Amino acid sequence: MDYNQTFANEVYEKVDSGAEIKVCMQCGVCGATCPLRGEMKYGPRQIWSLIRAGRRDEVLNNPDIMLCTSCYTCKVRCPRGVPIMEVMHGLAHYALAQGIVPRAETAKFGKAFWEGIYDTGRVDEAVVPIKYCLQDGLVAGLKKSLGMMDIGLALMKAKRMKPKMFIPPNIFIPGVHKIKGVKQLQRMLDKAAAIDAAKEA
Amino acid sequence: MSKKVCGYLCKGCGIGDALDLGGLKKAAGEQGVKEFKEHDVLCSPEGVAMIQADVDAGTNALLIAACSSRAKTDEFSFGNQVLVERVSLREQVVWCSADAADDDRQMLGEDYMRMGGVKLTKSELPTPFQLEGEVAKAVLVVGGGISGLNAAIAAAEAGNQVYLVEKEPELGGFLRTINKLGPQTAPYRELEDNPLPGLLEKVSGNPNIKAFTGATVDKTEGAPGNFTVSLSNGESLRAGAIIQATGWVPYDPEKLADELAYGSSPNIVTNVQFEQKAKEGGLGGINSIAFIQCAGSRDANHLPYCSAFCCLVSCKQAMYVKQANPEASVYVIYKDLRTPSQSEEVYREAQRQGVIFIRRDETYPTITGSDKLSLETMDVLLNEKVSLEELDMVVLATGMKPNNPKVVEPPLVAFGEDQDAAKKLVEEAKAQTEDWSVLNLQYRQGPNLPTLKYAMPDSHFICFPYETRRTGIYTAGTVRRPMRLTQAQDDGVGAAMKAIQAIRAAEAGCAVHPRSGDESFPEFAMQRCTQCKRCTEECPFGAINEDEKANPLPNPTRCRRCGVCMGACPERIISFKNYSVDIVGSQIKAIEVPEEDEEKPRVVVLACENDALPAIDMAARLGKSWSAFVRFIPVRCLGSVNLVWIADALSSGIDGLILMGCRRGDDYQCHFIKGSELANVRMSKISETLQRLVLEADRIKVAEVGITDHDKVAGIINEFMEVIDSVGPNPYKGF
Repeated sequence: MDYNQTFANEVYEKVDSGAEIKVCMQCGVCGATCPLRGEMKYGPRQIWSLIRAGRRDEVLNNPDIMLCTSCYTCKVRCPRGVPIMEVMHGLAHYALAQGIVPRAETAKFGKAFWEGIYDTGRVDEAVVPIKYCLQDGLVAGLKKSLGMMDIGLALMKAKRMKPKMFIPPNIFIPGVHKIKGVKQLQRMLDKAAAIDAAKEA
Repeated sequence: MSKKVCGYLCKGCGIGDALDLGGLKKAAGEQGVKEFKEHDVLCSPEGVAMIQADVDAGTNALLIAACSSRAKTDEFSFGNQVLVERVSLREQVVWCSADAADDDRQMLGEDYMRMGGVKLTKSELPTPFQLEGEVAKAVLVVGGGISGLNAAIAAAEAGNQVYLVEKEPELGGFLRTINKLGPQTAPYRELEDNPLPGLLEKVSGNPNIKAFTGATVDKTEGAPGNFTVSLSNGESLRAGAIIQATGWVPYDPEKLADELAYGSSPNIVTNVQFEQKAKEGGLGGINSIAFIQCAGSRDANHLPYCSAFCCLVSCKQAMYVKQANPEASVYVIYKDLRTPSQSEEVYREAQRQGVIFIRRDETYPTITGSDKLSLETMDVLLNEKVSLEELDMVVLATGMKPNNPKVVEPPLVAFGEDQDAAKKLVEEAKAQTEDWSVLNLQYRQGPNLPTLKYAMPDSHFICFPYETRRTGIYTAGTVRRPMRLTQAQDDGVGAAMKAIQAIRAAEAGCAVHPRSGDESFPEFAMQRCTQCKRCTEECPFGAINEDEKANPLPNPTRCRRCGVCMGACPERIISFKNYSVDIVGSQIKAIEVPEEDEEKPRVVVLACENDALPAIDMAARLGKSWSAFVRFIPVRCLGSVNLVWIADALSSGIDGLILMGCRRGDDYQCHFIKGSELANVRMSKISETLQRLVLEADRIKVAEVGITDHDKVAGIINEFMEVIDSVGPNPYKGF
């Protein structure tokens, strides 16, 4: 494969915190420290390496960039001070903006999570899974939620999710579970999104 | 010197409880130390005051029976007009004999008292050697590059006259070819200007510095404090010390024609050539460039070592390209990027500027093409072969070779081999020795500084970095070992300080290194010399010249006082005032050897003062114990062990001897370079003599004990005692 600097420059300029990976010295502490490394094909270090080599498709289609759980361990341990977690999220975000979905389930979950916040101003343990499951339609959604029943029951047992949350009007009557001034929050988020879009354009 | 002797016994640290002091005094009395004083804690201010009062009243030879000579040195030194002999009752008797019977411990203590007593009675106060005429205080610096210039400036600023000799018509050396320096100061973001103009200004502005350009050294005669140096321009200079800062030469890139296609395209250049281009402003139009690190370095077929500067230079040169064209693709292909200490910041800055670093494996990249180049390499970070296309230039980061003639010495085993074999070894060594010279020394052992295998002058480059094996001649900068510019700069200053020290030592008449301040020196009883040349050949420092009749001509200011000549001399005509064949021989004879039927063997350990003795002390301090039948005698260096001591010991009934010294071989740790090795070779020759005496070769052992090997001491001794048990008592007992 040829080395080509076009994609690296694209990442440095357009991806959130992308230029920070320039100083990576490929020591591999990030990968060694990542709790999700076993699920990943490459891990952060090798992804930076691929960026430097100019492998646009390989990087942006890679599910690894959507596996980060934001535990911050890599960022804390990086001897060169690279904000690895931010770059991983930056790459994921950038991929989605390019119309690429590196890992569909994470993208859906992220969308549900984000919409929940946008609608109500808070994260609700009932809202997120419902929105997540129903994205594929009612039947598929029910099937999916049945498949995740053990998780739901465990959450209920731990009182992280309460049955009454599912009872209308909690969800279906707008405003009940919302924070005060959700409209202002939405205006702020809209503005941020507009700035972001301008940057990416 | 008329001696007034007094002994002092310390009762502290358990000595008083473990030993019968009356017996100790009686033993020392047999060897001439009749008067004794005791103190509970001799090293306390009161104890020291007691001794000082006697010294003030005229006592000038002290037998201090307390702790090791390496402990309490400040307390027990009473100026250079007082002889002090220390008896190590604490480390060598009390602390190491936990398992011994009381009477064995007492005999051990008494033997050490006798040995100390006889040494004190036989020693004389050294009188410092004085050169005839005035000591030359000028420093000669050979080489006007970064190290040489800094050495000259430092020595001159310290008040010394400096002669600076440069073979080129202008001062500056490699600095003259350098465009910019990499970032040198925090925050390490900017390239910096070449410091040469400032240095030249300092040199020309200093009235103490006299520079000779376009000149080389034709001849160097004399010794520290009194070198006479003739230059090629007819000048003759007197100098007290010499600094050789002759720098480096780039590795010949023609040798990389096969591996890295050097010569196949004008666009494949070395780092030195690239620097020249940069200086001439010829970096325009580079859109894509690759630097190949370790081009002919850390490679068994080329330079096996790391040149320590190429990584940093490539980072800097990559910045040149990025500065000229920020959009350029700049690749550095490396095996290991070695940018220690602050230069890590330079690496980081190069990365920040967008330079891409690709790690390769041991194989070299393949370079093809002529105008635009292609390069294929293994990328171990991606674990696949990658290629770089459309490169405008490839820079080979080649390493440095010291600008110093290689000297190969025949291996020591050549001594005593059959003559033909020895001659062959000598011829082989000669064939590998380069026949040019920088200093043209008029020394018995040749015109050049002895070197290690890569033609870097032999020295312990961590402990004694500037020392060479020619006292008063120091090396600085890249001739010594590969280093980067800032280090070479500091190196010049370091060597200048050592040169000044050497001159001061010559003035004072004492050793400069490593026995700094030692005023004793070897004296030759010439009427008994047989002109065998062993001293002139074996001196590790080439201190002894020869006249046409092969008489040794010692140069005491070149001498390091190791005593290797004393160990070598078959006629035993070489001695120091306080260290001689007779003194140590008498110490051995002062050991009381019990009758055979008492089953108390006696073993003498001749222990190197620099490594073995501290290890023994440390072992005792850590509570290790060993056989109480062993007596240690410290020697300046194992190389100073004269074979007659072995004969003395065995003929007086000693059952065995161990020679404990430092590591020998390529990674030697000997303070005197060859002492340990010489001792080993000499001992290997002694077995014939033993056979003639019908004695077992097992009675002699040479053991390597480094200064950190305290954990080995007890094991070596106890193992040896078992061997002695199995070979049985020395049949010469009682004769």
